[in-house]
Amino acid sequence: MAQQLLNAIFIGSIYALFAVGYTLVFGVLGILNLAHSAVFMLGAVLTYALLVLHHQPFLVAVLISVVVCGLLGLVIEFVTLRPLRRRNAPQIAALISTIGLAQILVAIVEQSNAGSLTSWLWVDGANSVRFPPQSVPNPTYHVAGLTLEASKLAIVVVTVMLVLLLGYVMRSTQVGRGLRAVAENPRAALLMGINVNRMFALTLFISSALAGLAGILFAIALTDIDPYIGRDQVELKGLAVIVLGGMGSIPGAVIGGYLLGLIEVLAFVSLGSNVEAGVAFLALFVMLVLRPQGLFGARLRERL
Amino acid sequence: MPRMTSRIALVALLALSACGGSENTGNSSGSGSNPYAGKTLKLGAVLSMTGAGAVYGVGTKNGADLAVDTINASGGVNGAMVSLTTRDDASDKAQSAQVAQTLIQQDQVLGLLGPTLSNSAVAMHPLAESLHVPVVGISNTGINIVPDCNFPDQTPCKFIFRDSLGEETAIPDNIKAYSDAAHPKTAVLLVAKDDKFSSDGGVIVQQNVAKFGITLLASIQFSKADADLSTPVTSAVQKNPDVIFITSLGNIPARIMTAARTQGFKGQFLGGNGFNTAVVSKAAGAAGKGAQSGSAWYINNTFPSNAAFVSAYKAKYNIDPDQFAAQGYTGVLIMAAAAKAAGLTFGDPTQDRQKLRDALEKVSLDTPLGPFQFTSTHDVKQTVWIIQMDGSGGFTLVTSIKPS
Amino acid sequence: MDFFTQLFTDPVGFYQSHELLVAQCGINSILAISIFLTLYSGQLTLANAGFMAVGAYTTVIMSLDLHTPLVLNMLAGSLLAGAVGLLIGLPVLRLRGVFLAIATLGFGEALRFGVILNLPITGQGQGLKNPSADPLNGITPILIALPILTYVVWRLTGTRLGQAWAAIREDELAASSNGIDVPRYKMIAFVAGAVVAGFAGALETHINFFVDPTSYSAARSISILTFAVVGSSVMVLGPIVGATVLTALPEIVQQAANYRDVVNGVILILIIIFRPKGILGGGGLAILRPGWWPQGRRLRHARAAAPD
Repeated sequence: MAQQLLNAIFIGSIYALFAVGYTLVFGVLGILNLAHSAVFMLGAVLTYALLVLHHQPFLVAVLISVVVCGLLGLVIEFVTLRPLRRRNAPQIAALISTIGLAQILVAIVEQSNAGSLTSWLWVDGANSVRFPPQSVPNPTYHVAGLTLEASKLAIVVVTVMLVLLLGYVMRSTQVGRGLRAVAENPRAALLMGINVNRMFALTLFISSALAGLAGILFAIALTDIDPYIGRDQVELKGLAVIVLGGMGSIPGAVIGGYLLGLIEVLAFVSLGSNVEAGVAFLALFVMLVLRPQGLFGARLRERL
Repeated sequence: MPRMTSRIALVALLALSACGGSENTGNSSGSGSNPYAGKTLKLGAVLSMTGAGAVYGVGTKNGADLAVDTINASGGVNGAMVSLTTRDDASDKAQSAQVAQTLIQQDQVLGLLGPTLSNSAVAMHPLAESLHVPVVGISNTGINIVPDCNFPDQTPCKFIFRDSLGEETAIPDNIKAYSDAAHPKTAVLLVAKDDKFSSDGGVIVQQNVAKFGITLLASIQFSKADADLSTPVTSAVQKNPDVIFITSLGNIPARIMTAARTQGFKGQFLGGNGFNTAVVSKAAGAAGKGAQSGSAWYINNTFPSNAAFVSAYKAKYNIDPDQFAAQGYTGVLIMAAAAKAAGLTFGDPTQDRQKLRDALEKVSLDTPLGPFQFTSTHDVKQTVWIIQMDGSGGFTLVTSIKPS
Repeated sequence: MDFFTQLFTDPVGFYQSHELLVAQCGINSILAISIFLTLYSGQLTLANAGFMAVGAYTTVIMSLDLHTPLVLNMLAGSLLAGAVGLLIGLPVLRLRGVFLAIATLGFGEALRFGVILNLPITGQGQGLKNPSADPLNGITPILIALPILTYVVWRLTGTRLGQAWAAIREDELAASSNGIDVPRYKMIAFVAGAVVAGFAGALETHINFFVDPTSYSAARSISILTFAVVGSSVMVLGPIVGATVLTALPEIVQQAANYRDVVNGVILILIIIFRPKGILGGGGLAILRPGWWPQGRRLRHARAAAPD
């Protein structure tokens, strides 16, 4: 049982880190960015490419990948969101265009083979690979009958630190105040002289960089990198997390992530393996019906 | 390089003429009018080149294309050139049936290979059966493929064949080989409940363990969409079984093995066809060392045409072939051998398809999978290679089981 | 562009060799109509794949175990989907926007993982074979149902019911203060959508032979939504156009071979950027200006007036 609780904390951290970026975009732009999961996947894929195909040191690979993912956030903004905003299109149109972009990114990786145009990025097609154990060391400790992996512990630490940092930026810096003002009311922010478009771009940059980092940590801890890790394994769960926590709320996304991890594991342990996933979505459903604003949604005014 | 190609061509030619010669069709070598000369033998393949099945479809296509090149380089089938049109079904059963229909009715192919996934075969095979087009399944290992493609209707399908070893044979053979050697007492089954392939394999495991004196302590289900498999793996490891059975596809076996070894599992992994690609062995790495499965093919098998296939494949694609490539290659050889003996007229496709089907039932040829002929139920009867992952991306042979 | 050449020069041959594609376009069109019903009344629901599953499983289980006539099975499947819709609708329809979308998505996944995978009668993960499937004749009911359904829904949008839906979509508060019983009309749209989705699910088992849980995932619901949005969610022909274009697209761009998903994605983005209200939606063709280009006065006004 203790081991299962640890499992819940580890997977909860991944959910949380993925969901923080997701919820940030929703909070500021009011849009569900379904390309988030594709950026998550690319974070892992890019790091693998730099590490294995281009022989860079691990930290360099991570750093470059996170920045590239952030830049990809700008692509999301400029290609799929801004043109629609300028046309005053319904929000659902933005949802669809991010679906299109996600499809493109996944397909590019899936079709990259040794001889293809994008062989510098990925050579394994639809296959799954992992970081070579010698380049990403992952010592394992056995304490009191529990298995502790360094990589999973690192995820918890990184998640907590990043969230605290993001919280500090949001509350105490000029940029953070700007973002919150835009989230509150874009038109008022515009009148106050805030460059709203720049704030939107910045949001996408931060959110996507976080998604990339979450993807890298996922790949290290779960030894799985393939074109579908974002789409098939975290996208829906991430959606559940931001609803559980309250749409647009960063602390909510973190708590929601851990809560979902806990619900899944508890359901698995107490009710048996056959109902686990059903229970997670049932919880989501019940949560929405009883408390549509989510755990932290009540304080919508200060959601960031 | 040219020398090698011609040697392979020769082997294939011998293989083809060996079987063609045994059938007295009366028109294959007659002087004067050879109806095959200058014609094109149109075949189609429905493979998963995109989506989750691309892991297997790409190898199959490479193998099949190599076979086409080899046959055509040595003069084709009685002088007719083989053309293989491959269509992608995006790993989706609805698209499988759609592209099969287009291949049959627009491209007028005489025979089909595929589809890659057994999940898609349930949609495509009955369609081909109803249109009277012969199909050779090249990677369908699931249940209800042959002869009962129209299950629950038990009437045998006339046009559906497969050259892939079914899990119903491979999984029990593998359990037998391991229990003969190590006498395990207890096991846990890990099965992806939302995946038909894994569920089918799980049922086969459940039906067979008792025969070998193994107690199944638990069947633990998970979802193939679970991000972290640690939770089901922890449950399995804590039961302390001698064996963990894994019947899943794709990267799941590798992820389970890695998690289980990290958590201190010391027992044995046994699995199904999902283990049999180098990708899985590579992804599992050291954690996979010793994981054992029954395979339809083994790279170093000593069948006469295997060495030529392996070297030609390496020369063309610069990588080792896997089981799926061998089965794709074999699928084309089988079609060509049947077409050679069928006495095709290259006129009415309906008639030619019937003739091709009839000839398929009688093919007998040497392939990388071994001496090949279909059973009376259109299934394979072949050696099962019990293989183990070697911990560094490859496989070693444990034993081979001859067909009974 | 073989696809179009054959379509225009040899429509009969085209139909014969693409019958299943046409059938899938038809089914996806019906599914798109099912989501259109809720979108038209201003509700973003994503339970359609779940309702499809109810319709499909009911039909197949009845033909397998009860041997009842096909028409009866399909009718039962559709009605049961409607009944489930009513049960689900009672608690969730007071939610709005993205919350409603995710709650309904949660329903679909809970149904798939919690119910279908655990009931022996559904064949669980192994699925069920439809004994009465007949892919090449299965198209007939689709081709009959689609125009009838389109006509009915088109007429419906002109009635008081349809006007009430449109009023709710434009401004729920105003509709309510004008005496429209908002919850009731929303529920009617939701249940009608469920019945139509259940019907489409039942139809689909006749061309695909098989029901298994993978066909009814959240991704399926999202692609159904895409059909309607790309076509237009304010006129009934929109979903049909959207579903047909997006279903045929992989076949049309087949020459892109392995990169067809990339091409698919690019086309989807282009359609939605140039026609944000859908192919048939209003608003003219968008002209993209670079960021530094001076904006037109009309557009700036529109933005200033836009609600947040």
